[in-house]
Amino acid sequence: MPLLKLEDVVIDYGSIHALKGINMELEPGEVVTMIGSNGAGKSTTMKAIMGMVKCKSGHIWYDGKEITNQDTQHKVQSGIILSPEGRQVFPRYSVKDNLILGAYVRPREEIAESLEQVYALLPKLKQRSNQLAGSLSGGEQQMLAIGRAMMAKPRMLLLDEPSLGLAPLIINEIFDMIDQISASGVTILLVEQNARVALKHSDRAYVIETGSIVLSDQADRLLNSDEVRKAYFGGL
Amino acid sequence: MFLQQIVNGITIGSTYALVAIGFNMIFGVLELTNFANSSLYMFGAYTTFLLYSATGITFFLSFAISIILTGLLGYCLDRFALRTLRKKHAPKLAGLITTLGMSMVIDNSIMVIFGTDSKAFENHLDFGKFYIGNAIVTWTQVIILVVACVLMSFLSVLVYRTKIGKAMGAIAQNADAAKLMGINTNKVISFTFIISGVLACIAGNMIAMNYRSIETNMGSLIGTKIFASAILGGVGSVPGAIVGGVLLGVIETMVSAYISSGYRDAISFTILIVVLLIMPNGIFGKKAINKV
Repeated sequence: MPLLKLEDVVIDYGSIHALKGINMELEPGEVVTMIGSNGAGKSTTMKAIMGMVKCKSGHIWYDGKEITNQDTQHKVQSGIILSPEGRQVFPRYSVKDNLILGAYVRPREEIAESLEQVYALLPKLKQRSNQLAGSLSGGEQQMLAIGRAMMAKPRMLLLDEPSLGLAPLIINEIFDMIDQISASGVTILLVEQNARVALKHSDRAYVIETGSIVLSDQADRLLNSDEVRKAYFGGL
Repeated sequence: MFLQQIVNGITIGSTYALVAIGFNMIFGVLELTNFANSSLYMFGAYTTFLLYSATGITFFLSFAISIILTGLLGYCLDRFALRTLRKKHAPKLAGLITTLGMSMVIDNSIMVIFGTDSKAFENHLDFGKFYIGNAIVTWTQVIILVVACVLMSFLSVLVYRTKIGKAMGAIAQNADAAKLMGINTNKVISFTFIISGVLACIAGNMIAMNYRSIETNMGSLIGTKIFASAILGGVGSVPGAIVGGVLLGVIETMVSAYISSGYRDAISFTILIVVLLIMPNGIFGKKAINKV
């Protein structure tokens, strides 16, 4: 049974059709990437899963239950966590406070243990534990955003553009971290502009164009497909 | 004389601080200037007056019911007016105008029901007075100060040390990200409005007892003072509201004692202008850190 399933999801922003019937399935433990150009509907799909935009029609299923248009809060409680585009850490809170807020829906007594786990995954954050999040570098903020998402103990982790605006070396660090998270059994849905790197770290991928899925396949096959290469890997 | 003015100033200032804390909490969470806060202050005092004089229940029971009703009115303000605007992603200015409108509705309703002349308000905290040097201190003043201090400490802990306080801060910094943490933002915002209503009610009643009267312009008068306190202390900050409120109370009393009592209410505007010119962030205001 798929952990997350989208069935003909349609979303309109006023008269603009952002998603025109998206179908998607994620098996437990998979890492799946959505690739597509700006405005294709990748972030909107993420927002639809989180309940931050309203589905006009269609269904979203999680763990066998329908969750279409449920409150974001309930989705977080059931283990679907989004690390949003553009980091969006709380700049005036310390690194530690940011992480603790990540565990907002979890029982208090479990927080200390999770904090240690996240610090083990991201030792850099431990050094900067008391520093304000707003004073971190872009890469550190991104790590914090992912660490914060991990504090919620996700079963289904959505990562929206985790490598946006980061230097290549840092991007590698981020993806190493994603591999580690995946190895711990978390199902991951990834949105990336950086299609090549993302595909290398994924099991499967969906190619999305102007609100529709135009292609879906194993990641390695897409990586070698001329069509995808031409459209999304740039001139290399 | 000087000591006397300090005592009077701190007492009045501590009630300004209470209302300003509520104002600053709402501003902190929503970046919304809640003009209706001062109407809740008046509503609280008049509700106690009405319950006590019309129903025959004891004063403190009336006071307690009034606290609940004012908190509820604060909740309704958000639930039925502002939440709808948030849902439609209306600009912040729309929210501000709405609070102004709600404030007029509440103020004028009270005026219609009670008339515009001032009413005598019994002081149930009158336990006599004592002297410090040659300054007269009434027990009413002491009680006001103690209640204000207890509430201020409680609120500082609430805002800066508890989970719901952290959630308020998170909403203030990034409401969308706060939702992604699983925070029920509407619930936290409602809670903030209830707290600010309760504070305004307590302050309104204590001042009414101190002056032994209530009048229909008490809301609009305190409105400018809360605004000045908040700006002076630093908008959005709880310690800012406390320091700003007490400072304003003391300055105001000093000016009316040593210059002219006619300037008493003008002083808050003067402070407002001076602070905005010299240090627009106020005493405790922080400059925003925005890293992109």
